[in-house]
Amino acid sequence: MDIDLIFKIAAVGIIVSILNQVLSRSGREEQATMTSLAGLVVVLMILAQKIAELFELVKNLFEF
Amino acid sequence: MSEFWKITSVILLSVILCLTVGKTEKDIATILGMVVCCVAAGAAVKILEPVLDFLWELQQLCDLPEGVIGPLLKAVGVALVAEISAAVCADAGNASLGKTLQMLGGAVVLSLSVPMLRSLMTIIKELISGL
Repeated sequence: MDIDLIFKIAAVGIIVSILNQVLSRSGREEQATMTSLAGLVVVLMILAQKIAELFELVKNLFEF
Repeated sequence: MSEFWKITSVILLSVILCLTVGKTEKDIATILGMVVCCVAAGAAVKILEPVLDFLWELQQLCDLPEGVIGPLLKAVGVALVAEISAAVCADAGNASLGKTLQMLGGAVVLSLSVPMLRSLMTIIKELISGL
């Protein structure tokens, strides 16, 4: 089981959250939004990979 | 059995992580929940592998026709994926999409069972005509 992946996503979330706070406090709202968006895209890519793996596993096991 | 404890601890840990991350980044917390769902469901499906092998053995032992176990397994797979996806949709605040997904899963399972129902009808017809 891939536990590292979960920590990776949580770390991305925490880093993005800190960056968001720092940037928004220093008056750079646009950059804060872009940082959030970039973090979201990174975790979305990981999610898409995992969903594809799960679907492939179910397809193979349940003889689709 | 050790897999069960591992998965349970990973899920509980990820709930805490989701709560921590979700305070400021709700999108990433939702995606984290989805990834954990995928990982846990994958592990659960892998645990089911010997059970499915046993089902195939049972089919060979009872000399059942080919099309009996196949649609049943497909229905289980579709139901499993539809249920997990619907639960994820409900968690993300889109319960209506989750319900639609459940309905879609039900429709697919129903369409998968049509050949079996048809063969059942044929058997009943043969039985009635034999009387």
